[in-house]
Amino acid sequence: MFGRAKIAPQPQKDYASCSGCGLCLLVCPVWRRDRDIGLTPLGRAKALQHGAAAADIGESVQSCTLCAACEPACPEDIGLVAMTLDLRRQLVQPAAVQSLRTRMEAQAVRPRAPRPASPAVLLPGPALRERPGTLARAVALLGGAGKISIADDDGSDIALALEAGVSIPAPRLERFLQPLRGLRKIVVADGLLLRHLQQWPPGSKIASLGEALSGVAAVRRALRASDLYVIEPRAYHAGYQRLVNYYDALRADCGCVLNLDLQRIAIPAAARSLRHRLDLAAAVDTMDTSANDSIQARWILQGRMTTRIVVESLEDGAAFERVSDCPVVHLAELADDGT
Amino acid sequence: MHVTDIEPGTLGPCHVAPDALQGIKRQQTNPARWDGANWEEFAAAIRARGIEMREAAAALAAFATDAGGTAYGLAHGVVIARSTEQVALLLQAAQRYRVPVTVSGGGLTTEGESVAFGGVLLDMTGMSRVLHIDAEALTVRTEAGIFWHSLAEELRRRDLDYLSAPLNLTSSVGGTLGVGGIDVNSARLGCSADQALSLQVVTPTGEIVECSDTHNAALFQRVILGYGQFGVITEATLRVRRYTPLRMHYFYYSSLRTAIEDLQLLDHNDASDYSGILTIMDCAVNVLLAFDSPEREAAFMADWRPRLRGYGEFGFGLCTLVHYALRPWKLGEAWYLLQRKRELFPELQRPEYMRGATMLERSVVFSRAVWKFWGNRQMVIPDLATSAPKFVEAVERGNAVCRKYFPHYTLYLVGIRLRPEHRAHYEMSCIPPDAEGWAYGCEFEPMLGDTMYSRDYLQSFKNEIYDIGVDMGASYYRFGGMMKGYIRRVFGDALVDRHLALKRQADPAMILNRHVIF
Repeated sequence: MFGRAKIAPQPQKDYASCSGCGLCLLVCPVWRRDRDIGLTPLGRAKALQHGAAAADIGESVQSCTLCAACEPACPEDIGLVAMTLDLRRQLVQPAAVQSLRTRMEAQAVRPRAPRPASPAVLLPGPALRERPGTLARAVALLGGAGKISIADDDGSDIALALEAGVSIPAPRLERFLQPLRGLRKIVVADGLLLRHLQQWPPGSKIASLGEALSGVAAVRRALRASDLYVIEPRAYHAGYQRLVNYYDALRADCGCVLNLDLQRIAIPAAARSLRHRLDLAAAVDTMDTSANDSIQARWILQGRMTTRIVVESLEDGAAFERVSDCPVVHLAELADDGT
Repeated sequence: MHVTDIEPGTLGPCHVAPDALQGIKRQQTNPARWDGANWEEFAAAIRARGIEMREAAAALAAFATDAGGTAYGLAHGVVIARSTEQVALLLQAAQRYRVPVTVSGGGLTTEGESVAFGGVLLDMTGMSRVLHIDAEALTVRTEAGIFWHSLAEELRRRDLDYLSAPLNLTSSVGGTLGVGGIDVNSARLGCSADQALSLQVVTPTGEIVECSDTHNAALFQRVILGYGQFGVITEATLRVRRYTPLRMHYFYYSSLRTAIEDLQLLDHNDASDYSGILTIMDCAVNVLLAFDSPEREAAFMADWRPRLRGYGEFGFGLCTLVHYALRPWKLGEAWYLLQRKRELFPELQRPEYMRGATMLERSVVFSRAVWKFWGNRQMVIPDLATSAPKFVEAVERGNAVCRKYFPHYTLYLVGIRLRPEHRAHYEMSCIPPDAEGWAYGCEFEPMLGDTMYSRDYLQSFKNEIYDIGVDMGASYYRFGGMMKGYIRRVFGDALVDRHLALKRQADPAMILNRHVIF
């Protein structure tokens, strides 16, 4: 037959495989905010397919919130998060990102933390650490200090480095991972860190804080049919195939409304920019982030009758508190922990 | 129109006659790129009016091709539509400076219709807000760049749904109204464009006009199914309905003809709410039926199910087993069928989109499946649209062409209920002029997979399908762009010249979607 040639199947799908279906647009919070194809995975894919370099699409690469909603939506199963991070690594790093590298190097030479005595560990992240009461309740709900301990090193600098596309020095990564090896379970509040932990320490069960807490019977009993339950999107999309059924069962069990769209993709409540998370240009970005979060949070609430908003992530909670008079409750604050 | 047979490779009696190319290998031709005259002045004028014009290569690249992936072109600049007034200013300036404007919605054309070969690419997806939902009157007013799925997301918060839309989440409302749009409920509700009650249109000269069947009706009739020639749809008022999950039924046939006859029987007797045919192979044909209510489903089971000649999944599996056991030399075919079933069927029954036997999100399920199993960087989907009596022959002839060109392909067939009061909309469109009551459409979609075909090969395939349409007096859904050479052959000079005169009157500089039809 004339005019045809066999192409060897590619081992890993990348932007070259994008067929332009645009399903990623439908779930992208940046798209909802700006209605600009150039700032979406589709726009990046098409630009790269036609010869653009990372620097040519720098604004698009940096604007991605890494909510990962595009990944389960993509029918080609393209690793969109990994590729966005790869593009970020190719961009010239601003000075503040360089300081993040310095911070990781300093962490790497600190004495190693003792191995936790409990079989499970919680990596709470900075937001939860700032709320000691909520953190204590989370630990209590997850079985108490005998069953789960709070990690001395929760890798918050690593999570930021991952997001910024900054390479992580091997000694820093080893210092972080060493105490985690051999644990039965690791509960992670940061969804991006969870995604990477699924590949790093072998043999441990990795769960998001939301999944772990929502599996507690006392928490489930406290959920009401009139609740809006807000799933933390990064962790959800990192384990989508399994978690879509988990949360469907939760919905059936409790009757609450979830922040899922018709594709069963989690709508992010917040559209945090990388610059904000790195504490750059705080004044400007705080305004930006508030506006962005308002669009997202308002969209989740639109047309939904709810009496309470239950969040897995404190940052999502803050987004709803800005736009709604409904009480906003973190999962850990939902049930009596018995303490 | 009858086309006389010509010895392949020879010229007909008149080498410029509409049928003179039959039998001669035809190559794909794209329009020449516009030369850029007056571009700098135009761009400056646009920017002076506060409109953002992007000219960076990376910004242009996002629109370099469409879903077909065989036509490539670069605009000189991209404008994201933000308001009707902005679109009007853009078109006024485009007329003045004679700069071509190509309008893109979801970019899901396959023949390069939404690809700009120079000039401005107007990205309508920037206008995608829902403006007003009237849950009592069952209407919605929306900006026309919105994707059908985004519209569905908003309607569902009110327990509503659109009437009909292509099984493709990222088709835009404006783009669909401009070409027709078919759904698996089109045999009952008509094409997607039929749900439009009124439109806000920016004419090619930049006037903002509201139109409907009763107000500025001539413009409404030309814009609906007008392939973007007579204006840019910026807002649309659509009929909507209460949301219902679907009760799905699948019946399997080994004969295309039998399946089509049964489909038409059901359509003409209003026996189901949704109907269509999807093939895995021409010997494995699936008639898909669905119902909005248990009452309709029960009536079908009592009155019509016994008359169908198709099998359920188990029965068809048994027949197929016997068939291939007696024909061991066809085991490769059997293996393909089995593999396809294993991959495709679970996708159509993903638990997150089902509640028991009902399907909650039909557009999500089918659209995801379409892209997962048929999506590719190259896609060709030639089609034939005929009256009901001609349909079986058209499909069988098209199927023979598919067999000749590709090892694997899928046919997607649906009926379209015609609205007598919309006759004027259907002129020079996918609705064939001889259709009464229903028109029928068949898409012929080869599964290209990892095999890369030359564009000329794909074009030859499309031409052979479209030659059938000329021969049978049919029509096509995708007759624009690279296939526009068929327009005069299938519609005739008189009709096309009349539309061309209307176009010249409405668009003196011929700037709006200039390479799509004329």
